[in-house]
Amino acid sequence: MKRWLERRNWPLGTRGATVLALLCLGALCAWWLQLSPSGLIPREGGVKLAGQFFARALTPAWDYETPPPEGTPPLVMKALEGARRTVVFAAAGMSLALVFGLLLGFLGSSAWWPQRMRTSGVGPFVWTVARTIMVGMRSVHELLWAVLFLAAFGLNSFTAVVAIALPYGGTLAKIFSEMIDEAPRDSAGALRQLGATGTQTFLLGLLPRALPDMWAYAFYRFECAIRSSAVLGFFGFETLGYAIKQSFENLQYGEVWLYLWTLFGLVVLVELWAASARRRFVA
Amino acid sequence: MSPLPHAQLSLHELKRRRPRERLVQITLLLLVLLTCYAWTCGDIHLDDLDLARRTENLERFVQEDLAPYSLRDQEHSWTDVAAWAWTIAVTRGFEGALQTLAMATVAITLSAMVAFLLLWCAARTSATARPYGDGRGRETFAWRVVRLSTTALFVYLRAIPEYIWAFLLVAMLGPSAWPLILALAIHNSGILGRLGAETVENLPPRPLTALRTLGATRTHIALFAATPGFLSRFLLYVFYRYETCVREATVLGMLGIASLGYWIEDVRTKRYYDEMVLLVAMGALLVLCVDLLSAWVRRRLRQAS
Repeated sequence: MKRWLERRNWPLGTRGATVLALLCLGALCAWWLQLSPSGLIPREGGVKLAGQFFARALTPAWDYETPPPEGTPPLVMKALEGARRTVVFAAAGMSLALVFGLLLGFLGSSAWWPQRMRTSGVGPFVWTVARTIMVGMRSVHELLWAVLFLAAFGLNSFTAVVAIALPYGGTLAKIFSEMIDEAPRDSAGALRQLGATGTQTFLLGLLPRALPDMWAYAFYRFECAIRSSAVLGFFGFETLGYAIKQSFENLQYGEVWLYLWTLFGLVVLVELWAASARRRFVA
Repeated sequence: MSPLPHAQLSLHELKRRRPRERLVQITLLLLVLLTCYAWTCGDIHLDDLDLARRTENLERFVQEDLAPYSLRDQEHSWTDVAAWAWTIAVTRGFEGALQTLAMATVAITLSAMVAFLLLWCAARTSATARPYGDGRGRETFAWRVVRLSTTALFVYLRAIPEYIWAFLLVAMLGPSAWPLILALAIHNSGILGRLGAETVENLPPRPLTALRTLGATRTHIALFAATPGFLSRFLLYVFYRYETCVREATVLGMLGIASLGYWIEDVRTKRYYDEMVLLVAMGALLVLCVDLLSAWVRRRLRQAS
């Protein structure tokens, strides 16, 4: 079995075999799940709902569809406020994740350990522990972390922040440690030859080579954090998801579409910003 | 100029002349300010951090809620706990995990197919009046519309999170497997479409241009020259996204679709936190296994190319 798995020439070639396996697996799973195209046709009532919902896609509501209680801010302000909260939770979670990510990422990378610690077993021990923690943080989805913390601590703002920070910290740590280990070693080698100490070599030779990629990746994760933060709204935190859920359950589809377009605008804005900054930073 | 123009400069001068980008500096500054604002604007209540108020809740959670319910009031050994965990795994866990895996697989296959079909309309090199040309010649209005609308579609599909798509689709299609699969497929085809289009744009242009001058049609080049060139990379992306799909499929079940998340939500509403933690751990294990599988496939693909 092992020999077969490791062998070089698969029938069809590796890529062909992968494509074929993926298609067959997909079909097999669809059969096992008893999927049929008829499931795609909305059930009774669903047709009407879908029609009403999508009819509002291009005409989102600009004002409340049912008169709100006295003193409520205008709908557009409510959407912007939701967007602001979404960004606040994402930024707070991300800043904490960055701390976890940098700490564990450094501990989990093998490039910066001095030679004698690497051979004495201290290094391998530390980076195995760090990598195990990373895997644990990363394998649990942010919503599941949120559910766990809600049970343990009750609903409070830190629950949302930590729920984002833990899985994102794990992911950042994994990618950071890989980036540090795979960064070009040329300048580090040169500094070494000139007699720099291990710390100097790492800080001035290795880290600056890995930093642009780390930075770009962290910015990309910030964009993902905004999406996660919006979704956390479905669990009672007052981000955009909270407003979407409420309006949808009250059948106010115009409002839902306003929130959806707000979220869309927010994500696209951050994406454009990240893309233009990344181009200049990595180049 | 001397061969090493910077060799004679002082350290101070070197530092002054280092390449700097205004946008990058502003971005960093803005991000720092945003972080400070996020922590201080009052939406994150710093007194929530005061654990003394939460201790009671936490103590109850750890000491009472987490103990297996059926064993709570009696002496129990680890074998009893293992037997309890096994019962839950057999009755709900394994079934849920398999369902999760199956739905994620269907979703990723679907989104890979959709992305593969659409990305040709979004790549700058193929979606023009003179495909795979040398870049000269005028662009027609029709092709520009096709390209921009496909790109915009990809952006829209991926900007809305899977969870929100699933939430909307469950209301329309009812709690079958379809809403979950469609939600995952919609989001991921947006991502795979963009990444695939970028890969096609970055293919070495000369062989494709040569084929074009020899008279190959758009379809010929796409199928027999561009696809073999970009397939390895595209498959790498597909397997990256497969990991994410399994993670998300677990969670989307919480909307009432029979994946692992369905059972997690089920015990959560009943406040059986002992079972909830066990099922969450099973979900983590599933994600871990898929991570390993996907890493193995990606290593093979990289070796092959």
